[in-house]
Amino acid sequence: MSDEEHHFESSDAGASKTYPQQAGNIRKGGYIVIKGRPCKVVEVSTSKTGKHGHAKCHFVAIDIFTSKKLEDIVPSSHNCDVPHVNRVDYQLIDISEDGFYVSLLTDNGSTKDDLKLPTDEALLTQLKSGFEEGKDIVVSVMSAMGEEQMCALKEVSPK
Amino acid sequence: MFNGIAGGGAEDLPQLQSTMRAIELACSYIQINTNPAAAEATILSLHQSPQPYKACRFILENSQVASARFQAAAAIKEAAIREWSFLSTEDKGHANSSDAYVFSKVSSVAAQLMKRGWLEFTPAEKEVFSTRYLRSIAIFWTINQAILGSRGLDVQFIGIHFLESLVSEFSPSTSSAMSLPREFHENCRKSLEQNYLKTFYSWAQDAALSVTNKIVESNSDVPEVKILNWEFRYSKGGTKGSINVFSDGMRSDTASSRKTECVIVQPGASWCDVLLSSSHVGWLINLYSSLRQKFAFEGYWLDCPVAVSARKLIVQLCSLAGEVFPSNNAQMREQHLLLLLSGVLPWIDPPDVISKEIEEGRSGSEMIDGCRALLSIATVTIPVVFDRLLRSIRPFGTLTLLSLLMGEVVKVLLANSNDKETWSYESMDGSGGNAWLPPEGMHAAASLFSLIAESELKLASASATTDEDDADCLASVSAMDERLGSYALIARAAVDATVPFLTKLFSDRVARLHQGRGTVDPTDTLEEVYSLLLIIGHVLADEGEGETALVPDALQTHFVDVVEAGNHPVLNCKIHEQCLDANMRSSIFSPRLMEAVIWFLARWSFTYLMLVEDCNLGSNQLQSLPSRACLFTFFNEHNQGKFVLDIIVRISLTSLMSYPGEKDLQELTCHQLLHALVRRRNICFHLLSLDSWRNLANAFANDKSLFLLNGVSQRSLAQTLVLSAYGMQSSDASNQYVKDLMAHMTSSLVDLANNSDLKNLAQQPDIIMLVSCVLERLRGAASATEPRTQRAIYEMGLSVMNPVLRLLEVYKHESAVIYLLLKFVVDWVDGQISYLEAHETAGVVNFCMSLLQIYSSHNIGKISLSLSSTLLNEAKTEKYKDLRALLQLLSHLCSKDMVDFSSDSIETQSTNISQVVFFGLHIITPLITLELLKYPKLCFDYFSLISHMLEVYPETLAQLNSDAFNHVLTTVDFGLHQQDVDIVTMCLRALKALASYHYKETKAGNTGLGSHAAGQTDPNGVFHEGILSRFLRHYFMCLPFSCYSTDLVSTAADALFPLILCEPNLYQGLGNELIEKQGNPNFKTRLANALQVLTTSNQLSSSLDRLNYQRFRKNLNNFLIEVRGFLKTK
Repeated sequence: MSDEEHHFESSDAGASKTYPQQAGNIRKGGYIVIKGRPCKVVEVSTSKTGKHGHAKCHFVAIDIFTSKKLEDIVPSSHNCDVPHVNRVDYQLIDISEDGFYVSLLTDNGSTKDDLKLPTDEALLTQLKSGFEEGKDIVVSVMSAMGEEQMCALKEVSPK
Repeated sequence: MFNGIAGGGAEDLPQLQSTMRAIELACSYIQINTNPAAAEATILSLHQSPQPYKACRFILENSQVASARFQAAAAIKEAAIREWSFLSTEDKGHANSSDAYVFSKVSSVAAQLMKRGWLEFTPAEKEVFSTRYLRSIAIFWTINQAILGSRGLDVQFIGIHFLESLVSEFSPSTSSAMSLPREFHENCRKSLEQNYLKTFYSWAQDAALSVTNKIVESNSDVPEVKILNWEFRYSKGGTKGSINVFSDGMRSDTASSRKTECVIVQPGASWCDVLLSSSHVGWLINLYSSLRQKFAFEGYWLDCPVAVSARKLIVQLCSLAGEVFPSNNAQMREQHLLLLLSGVLPWIDPPDVISKEIEEGRSGSEMIDGCRALLSIATVTIPVVFDRLLRSIRPFGTLTLLSLLMGEVVKVLLANSNDKETWSYESMDGSGGNAWLPPEGMHAAASLFSLIAESELKLASASATTDEDDADCLASVSAMDERLGSYALIARAAVDATVPFLTKLFSDRVARLHQGRGTVDPTDTLEEVYSLLLIIGHVLADEGEGETALVPDALQTHFVDVVEAGNHPVLNCKIHEQCLDANMRSSIFSPRLMEAVIWFLARWSFTYLMLVEDCNLGSNQLQSLPSRACLFTFFNEHNQGKFVLDIIVRISLTSLMSYPGEKDLQELTCHQLLHALVRRRNICFHLLSLDSWRNLANAFANDKSLFLLNGVSQRSLAQTLVLSAYGMQSSDASNQYVKDLMAHMTSSLVDLANNSDLKNLAQQPDIIMLVSCVLERLRGAASATEPRTQRAIYEMGLSVMNPVLRLLEVYKHESAVIYLLLKFVVDWVDGQISYLEAHETAGVVNFCMSLLQIYSSHNIGKISLSLSSTLLNEAKTEKYKDLRALLQLLSHLCSKDMVDFSSDSIETQSTNISQVVFFGLHIITPLITLELLKYPKLCFDYFSLISHMLEVYPETLAQLNSDAFNHVLTTVDFGLHQQDVDIVTMCLRALKALASYHYKETKAGNTGLGSHAAGQTDPNGVFHEGILSRFLRHYFMCLPFSCYSTDLVSTAADALFPLILCEPNLYQGLGNELIEKQGNPNFKTRLANALQVLTTSNQLSSSLDRLNYQRFRKNLNNFLIEVRGFLKTK
């Protein structure tokens, strides 16, 4: 029955930052590029252009880095850009003296020192106090379209 | 605060005055909104103080502030209900006051008091009692009789008002809560209706009569009109009250019960003299018409309250039916209706004049009420009688009038859409729905329908260019459905004419489309075709929601003479769909039109396509229904059925492939059309032999464009295709079919999961989309599990088990995918679990547990750092949905113990499901925060699982370690404090199960809940109470004070009883504590007695059987009625 196989090509460093996808297929909770910004869709509604016209999608989305709200209307059979959102977990190894940057341990044993601390005060204190108490903290870093940001953290009970 | 004055009973004037001032002050503070909290507290303390009657009475009689009097009346009500049993009789009397709202409160308080006491008196006493209360009215009454309104207008007004509030208090829907069982309300209602209602009614009627004479004679006298208004309303209340009594058993007429808008009034035979013989109706109608004449030149009249209530009463009288008419006297009934009709007639006849007037600005309410009256009459009569009614006073019948009326309404509709249409539709519906019409009625229906169709088309083409608001559109869809439904009834009343008419209209439009192609803007015609399709669909077939659709009777029986299959009118409409496959799609078949086509096909094929010669419809019946036989031969013998089916499948494939991104269309195709096809086995059988179906299946498995469908459609398409395997000859073949169908999906998942670079790859948007699609499809297939295909689907799930776990790991940040994964597993387990053998069960259970563990390890302690509150909320919702899915998974696992089709005997059952489920609960409960339990659905799922587990497997709970045990019970405790009655009920049931388990076990010499129940001393030397004692203490102390609804009392009793039995000593102690707390010695003894009675009366013994539970329920109920009142007072 199946005469066509799917091939999974692994992406390399130069992988494209966005992929085209039919607008009708982007749903709530998915990602979309609006005005050059990677966003998470929080609302999709469809309507028609005129009574006998074609469907179009109305997206309300939130910039995943700046949390700004953006909207867009696209005919549902057209393609939209969907950002490649990557998330990587790192272990937190240090918080820099000046209190702006963190040091993270990558999978292959090297460190990553260019990531800024979150700006939110409550989270910052939680992170710092957890770190000072010697808890193991795993930080998830989200990257898309050349930007990256810390997006979640999680305490791992020491084994 | 007010205890001193109230309790002491000394007539301490200064104190009473200070109370009054305090209340007045509080009231005015509330009004000007200064310090509302303190003011509320003051008023509340008045409400809650014991025996506040004197103070309240003082306020009522002396205060100048109306709102203070209002509060006082409210306080009396509350206190009286609470402390009913110690009221001294003189407290029960009342003063009157004149402010309208205060007065209405007072009279409703009086009514409530009367009701509370109603059943506790013997009839003789009640006579005395009610006369006491009715004394005031009775007095007014005699006064009235004597002076007939010269002085007594106000008084009469008051009397009527009191009666009104009495009736509304006694009718269950408007009664106020008294924390008494429902039976009480019921009994009150019955006794009132049997003994007094009629009297009340005739009082009101007499009063009205006496007043009206004057009104008719005098000029417009405002206060009198006002009184009349009250009386009408009251007598309406009276009739309404009577509806309640007689509505129980008497609705045999199914046709009428369908029309919810039209409640049939069916008072008993005894009402005959009041309502009918006393020429009451004639009086009413005369009154209305004379008033009407009198005020003819004042526009406001039609909508003023008197007119409205008079009309309402007339409408209600129209729907009078049942025993009230002596059974042998049809004449009388007809007379009655005729009388009413002649009264109603001027409102609506002649229709054209009236509708013109309305257009010119007159109020349309009279016409609407006229239509309502007609509707009522139509529901209580058969059409022939209905039609004849008018014939005696006019040269034409009622139906003709009705269709004229309809015609007018439709015309008006063209000009501006109006609300009143619905009523005339309904009334048409009423008459049209009732089987047979006389020939000219049919004729009327036919011409009417053509009028409707034409106007609908005009409307359609007119609206073609207007771009409606979407929200507006959605709301009007159901209204439109209803409207078309009633058109269909009219059309079916005269099928001979209407079906060919529709066919002609349709072919006209299609021809016009063809002609004008490329040259003229087709939008208008498209819209016409669109609405024609909808109309035809409604006329030809009923909505088959959830049941097997039948060919409508009218259509079935009318075309008996059509023998040649091809000419069958039903099919004629159908053939036009063929033009679809031509290349004109782009120019003509807009998505909207396609939606109508698909909708029509679904409805049509569900009703007509390839009817089976049902075995229970033997061959002789086929002969008696030649039309059916004709359809049957058409489809089967000439192989036309297959041909038509082929077209339908091709159409649906086109709509799926060639309309990218048209979500609505695709959903309609998948959900309605294709689903309708696989509903019947014989059609499945044919489907599988069709090339087009094979193409569809192939496209599903391989074609990229079908991967572009939206998720829900993917799922339903997979489901449909798997269901069609039912048409295979053998079970093996079915399984093989499913396997072939799904092999591609499973292998793509397996490939992906085995890819070495999965981690990077998985994050790519196209891969995410592919995975989501495949998961949706797997889920669709899983939800289509049938015994025949169970094997194939089991294997399908088995092969993706490991990939699922891998993906769960990889997509831990991609909540949308996670949810799909979980939902797939949930549906798959749900479909499979009951079929599985022991070793398979073990495999599935292990899989589920690792799923739970992986999910939990990813999510526990995770904190999202997003700055956006919307995204944070989204994250919370996602989590809630995941957890709900996991709980469902556990519930499905639970069901293995209930329903098991596997071949193993029970002994070989190797997996202990209850342990597994508790283990699962243990994994996920830390994720369920109390915050998340605020989602009602999650809360419900969680507690239903918990209460099920505790009821069925209390012994497993006993084996849990103390942490897990405590966690479960903390949530139960949390649940007990919820507002939702269902949740509390479930928690109480869990508690009952727990306590009764422990009691039974310990009685049998076992440990029961063991250390959990016994309580323990922790390392610090602090003694921790056992779990049951904790609940008993907590619960027993809460029960009388909290505002549990009466519905909960019996469940609460069921939980409390075993708890008391488990911990009798503690119970004693608690009881004593409660008694000690009471300051008032009177209350002390009452409470002690009540507690005594609670555990001893009704021969309550200490065994946990049904009988004892029942007894205890009764006891607790009495206990609460007895003591709750004063325990609640602060």
